[in-house]
Amino acid sequence: MTIIQTVFLFLILFYLAENSYSQTGDSIQSKGMKKIYGVVRGTSDSLLNGANLVIEGTIDGSSTDEKGYYEFETEKMGQQNILVTMMGYANKTVPVDITGDKDIELNIKLSKKEIQTDEIIITASSFTSGSNNAVTLTPLEIVRIPGADADLYRAITTFPGSNQVNEGSRITVRGGDPDEVLTILDQASLYNPFIFDETFNVSSYSTINPWGLRGINFASGGFSARYGNALSAVLDLKSYDMPQGTGMFAWLGLANASLSGVYVSKDKKFGATFDLGKLFLDPYFAINGKHSDFSPIPQSNNGGGTLSFKFGTTGLLKFYTNYSDDKVGIYSPSASYNGYVNQKSKSFFSNLKGTFAPSAATLLSVSGSFSLYKKDIQFGVLNTNEKDYYSKGRADFTVQVNRKVDINTGAEYEYNGYDINGLAPKYTYNIRPDAESFELDTAINSGRIGVYAESQIRITKKFFLIPGIRTDYYSISNETGIDPRISFGYLFSKYNSVRGAYGVYHQNPKLDDFFRAQDSKLKPERAIHYILGYEFNKDGNYIFRVEGYYKKYSDLVLLNRSNFYYGSDGDGDVKGVDVFLKTKIDNKFTGWISYAFTDSKRRQYDATNLAPANYDIPHSASVVGSYSITDALVMGASFKINTGMPYTPVTGSTYIQSQDVYEPIYGDVNSARFPTYTRLDLNAQYIFALFGKFAVGVISVNNVLNTPNVYGYTYNFDYTQKSTTISNNRRSVYAGLGLQF
Amino acid sequence: MKTKIQIAVLIFTALCLAANSSKASDDFEKAMLKAKANLKTAMNTVDVAKLTKVRGEFERILQLKEMPWLVNYYIAYADYGLAMSGMESSNTDVIKKYTQSGINVINKSIEENPDFADAFVLLEALNFNRWQYESDKMQDIMSATQSADASVKALEPENPRYVLVNAVSHYWTPEQFGGGVKVAMPEFEKAKTLFEKRVEKGPLYPDWGQEMNLGYLALCYIKRNDDGDKVKAKSIIDEALKVNPDSGFIKEYVQKEYDKVEK
Repeated sequence: MTIIQTVFLFLILFYLAENSYSQTGDSIQSKGMKKIYGVVRGTSDSLLNGANLVIEGTIDGSSTDEKGYYEFETEKMGQQNILVTMMGYANKTVPVDITGDKDIELNIKLSKKEIQTDEIIITASSFTSGSNNAVTLTPLEIVRIPGADADLYRAITTFPGSNQVNEGSRITVRGGDPDEVLTILDQASLYNPFIFDETFNVSSYSTINPWGLRGINFASGGFSARYGNALSAVLDLKSYDMPQGTGMFAWLGLANASLSGVYVSKDKKFGATFDLGKLFLDPYFAINGKHSDFSPIPQSNNGGGTLSFKFGTTGLLKFYTNYSDDKVGIYSPSASYNGYVNQKSKSFFSNLKGTFAPSAATLLSVSGSFSLYKKDIQFGVLNTNEKDYYSKGRADFTVQVNRKVDINTGAEYEYNGYDINGLAPKYTYNIRPDAESFELDTAINSGRIGVYAESQIRITKKFFLIPGIRTDYYSISNETGIDPRISFGYLFSKYNSVRGAYGVYHQNPKLDDFFRAQDSKLKPERAIHYILGYEFNKDGNYIFRVEGYYKKYSDLVLLNRSNFYYGSDGDGDVKGVDVFLKTKIDNKFTGWISYAFTDSKRRQYDATNLAPANYDIPHSASVVGSYSITDALVMGASFKINTGMPYTPVTGSTYIQSQDVYEPIYGDVNSARFPTYTRLDLNAQYIFALFGKFAVGVISVNNVLNTPNVYGYTYNFDYTQKSTTISNNRRSVYAGLGLQF
Repeated sequence: MKTKIQIAVLIFTALCLAANSSKASDDFEKAMLKAKANLKTAMNTVDVAKLTKVRGEFERILQLKEMPWLVNYYIAYADYGLAMSGMESSNTDVIKKYTQSGINVINKSIEENPDFADAFVLLEALNFNRWQYESDKMQDIMSATQSADASVKALEPENPRYVLVNAVSHYWTPEQFGGGVKVAMPEFEKAKTLFEKRVEKGPLYPDWGQEMNLGYLALCYIKRNDDGDKVKAKSIIDEALKVNPDSGFIKEYVQKEYDKVEK
C-alpha cells in the first residue's frame, strides 16, 4: 500500500465515520429509531391542538392533534433539546436524554404568552388611541361622532368627566377651568389650537386634523410627571412621523372647504403634508337661517403642513406648522350698550422636533416650538389688542433598563409673554362708546424651567407602578413647585383591572392675573389628585370603567376684598365619579354611554366664599351610537344631557348719576344655574366612487330637537328685566362631500 | 510526491464537505417539497387540521436555517389559509388571530429578504383581511396595503399573484367603493395571461393562484351573464380543474355558482 493509498483509506474511513455520526446523533452505536410521544397541555391543563414540537437543529418533530397528543421518531441520540411552540403561548425548550431502548414519554405544559406591556400600562383616568388593544377612541370614531363635527376635543367630551365650553372645542375637565387642560403635540404645548376661541355666542373649533394623529392620550387626572404646568388634564397627541402614503383629499361642505395633501418619497426618507381650509357660512345660513345678527358673519382661514426627514437608521427630523385666523361681529345687547362685539384673532404655531435612538434601548427626543396668538376685541368703549406668545425647548430621554424597568427623564424651558394695549372701560358696568376709559399698554412675561424623572416598573406581568417626580421653577413668582406622582395598575384577571393614581400638580396663573396682583406676585396654583378605578376590558370590544376621584386645590388666585388685589389664598376641592361603558359588535355597531357626577367648589377670583366652580356640572351624561347599515352607509346618533352651568345672578342695581348708568348688584357667586342642557345630534356617511375615486358624503343634523339651550342672560338698562340669550347652536343641517385622489 | 498527497487530501476534503452540504440541502429541499405539497392539499379544502399540521412542518424546517425567508413565507401563507377558515365560519376571532400571526411572520420574511416580491403580495392580502375585524383602523389598513402594494410594484409588477390579489379585492369591493366585476374582470384576464407565461424560479418557490384566478374569472362571467358567458365560464372552470383537480374553491364554490345559473 502506497502512502497515497494509506492516506485515502484513512480519509475514507474518517468520512464514513463522521457521516454516520452526523446522521445518528451523538452516539454512533445506536442505529434504530426512537419514538418520543406525549401530550401538550396549556393553562388549566387544557389539551392543546396544533402545538409544534421539534428537536432543535433538526426537522424531527410533530404537531399535536385535537387530543393534545403527539408522537414522532428520531435517529438523534443523547442529550437533545425539544422546542415546543404554540400560537398565543410562550415558547418552551425541554431538554431530553434520548438513550436506552424504550420509547420516551414526554408530557409538556405551556404557559400563556406574557401580556404586552403597552396593553397593561394604561394609567388611571386615561383614554387612549393607538395600535394596542386598550383603544377607546379611533380617528374614525372621532369623525363619526354626531355633533362632534370631526373635532377631536368635542369627541373627547363624550367621555365622562369632560364637558364642552359653550358647545365649542374648549373643554373643561372635572369642574376645572378650560385653561387647566394642557394640549401637547409632539412635545410642544399648544395653547390656542382653536378658531373663534372665547367668542361671544360663537362656538370654537379646533384646528387639529384627527387623521394626522397616530396616538391620542387624554388623561383627565393623575397624569405622568412628564407633564408640567397643568392642573387638571392633559391631551397628549402624537402625529405620524412620516405621511402614510401619497395623495390628496378635497372637501366641500355647506360651510367650509379644504384641501389637504400628503407625499412620501419612494425611499420613505422624506415626507410632506399640507392642509388648507376656509370657512364660508353664507350657504349654511341660507339653509338654516341666522339666529343672531352678524356683521361680519363668522369667517376663518387656516393652513399648515409638515416636513419629515429620516436620517441614519433611527433619526427623524420633523417640522410642523399651522396658521389660522378668524373674524366675526355679533350683535350683543347689554345693560349699558347694544352693539356688535367685533373680534378677530390670528394664531401661529410651529415646532421642530428631532428624535434619535442612540442604542436599541434608548430614545432621545428634542424639540423647539413657538406659538403666537393675537386677539383684537371691540365692543363699545372696549378696544383692545392682545398678544400671547410662547416659546419652548424640550428634551426627553427614555432608557429601557431591562424588560421590567424603563426610565424616562427630561427637561423643558418655556417662555410666555403677554402684551395688551388699547382702551378698556373704567367701570365694567359702563361700556358705552363715550364711557370713561383708561389706556392699556402693558406687557408681562414669565419663564419656567421644568425637570422630571419617572420610572415604569413592571413588577410582575400583571402589575405596574409608575413613580415619578418633577420640579418646576417659575421665574415670575420666584417659586418652585415639587410634584411627586405615582400611578399603578393591576390586572387581576384576563379582562379586569384596577388602577389608581396620586399626584401633586402646579400651574402658573394666567399672566393677565398678575396685573391685578400686589407686587405682581402670585404663587403657582396647586392641586393634589387621588384616583381609584376599576375597568373591565374585553379586547376593546366591551369596556366598562368606573372611577372615583378627589382633588384638593390650594394657592388659587383669589380677590382680597380688603385691598382689591389678587392673592394666592384661594382653595377648593372636587370629588366625583366617572362611569363609562363602551361596546363594539361585529364591526357593525359602536356605542358608548358616559356618566359623570362632579361636585366642584372653589374660593377663586371673586368667590371669596366657597362656591360652585365656574364649570361645576354635577351631572352629565352622553350616549353615542354608530351603526353600519351597509358597508357603504353608516348612521350615528348622540345625545347629551347635563345639569345647567352655574352663573352669578344680578339681584339689584344702583343708579350712578355721574355716568347716567346703573351698576349691577350681584348675588352670591355662581349661586344660580342655567336650565338643564340637552342636545340630540344625528349624522350619516355614505362612501362611494366618484370619477373612479374614493368619495365620502356626509349629512348631519345638529340639535335635532331644536332645544333652546341657554348661552347666558342679559339685562335691561336698570337690571329689572332679564332676557335669555339662546345658544346659536339651534337645529341645523350640514352636508359635505369629500374626494380622495 | 508530498505535493501530490497534499492536493489529493485537499480535493478529497472539498468533496466531503460538498457532499455534506449537499446532503443538508437535500434534506431541506425534500422537506420543503413535501411540506409545500401538503400545504397545497390543505389549502384545497381549507382544512384547519391539515393547515395547522403543515404550518408545524414549516416551523420545523426553520430549524435547518436554510432560506428562512421562504420558510417564513409559507408559514405566513398557512396562517392566511387558517384566517380564510375563519371567514368561512364568520369567526372574526379566528380571522384576527391568524391574520395578526401571518402579518408578524411575513414581516420577518421581508426583513430576511426584502427583495422577495411574493412576500409583499401576501402582506397585502393579509392586510385586506383586517377589514373583517378592525375596519375602524381604516387609515392603518390603507397605509399598510398601499405600502405593500408600492413594494411589489417596485420589485415585480408583473407578478401574477399580485394582480390576482388586487383583482380579488376589487371583486369583493362594492361598486360604490370603486370595485365590482367590471373593474376586477380585466385584472383577472391579465393575471391569467401572466400565469400562463410564468416560469417560477424553482420548485421551492410559490406557485399558487392560477386555478384561483381562473375560478374568479369564471365567477365574473357567471355574474355578468352576457350572451356566451356561461359557455366561457364552463370552459374556464374545466381549465382550472386541469391546473388543480382537487381545488375545493373550484369544486365546492365556483362550480356550484355555475350550477345555480345553469339551472
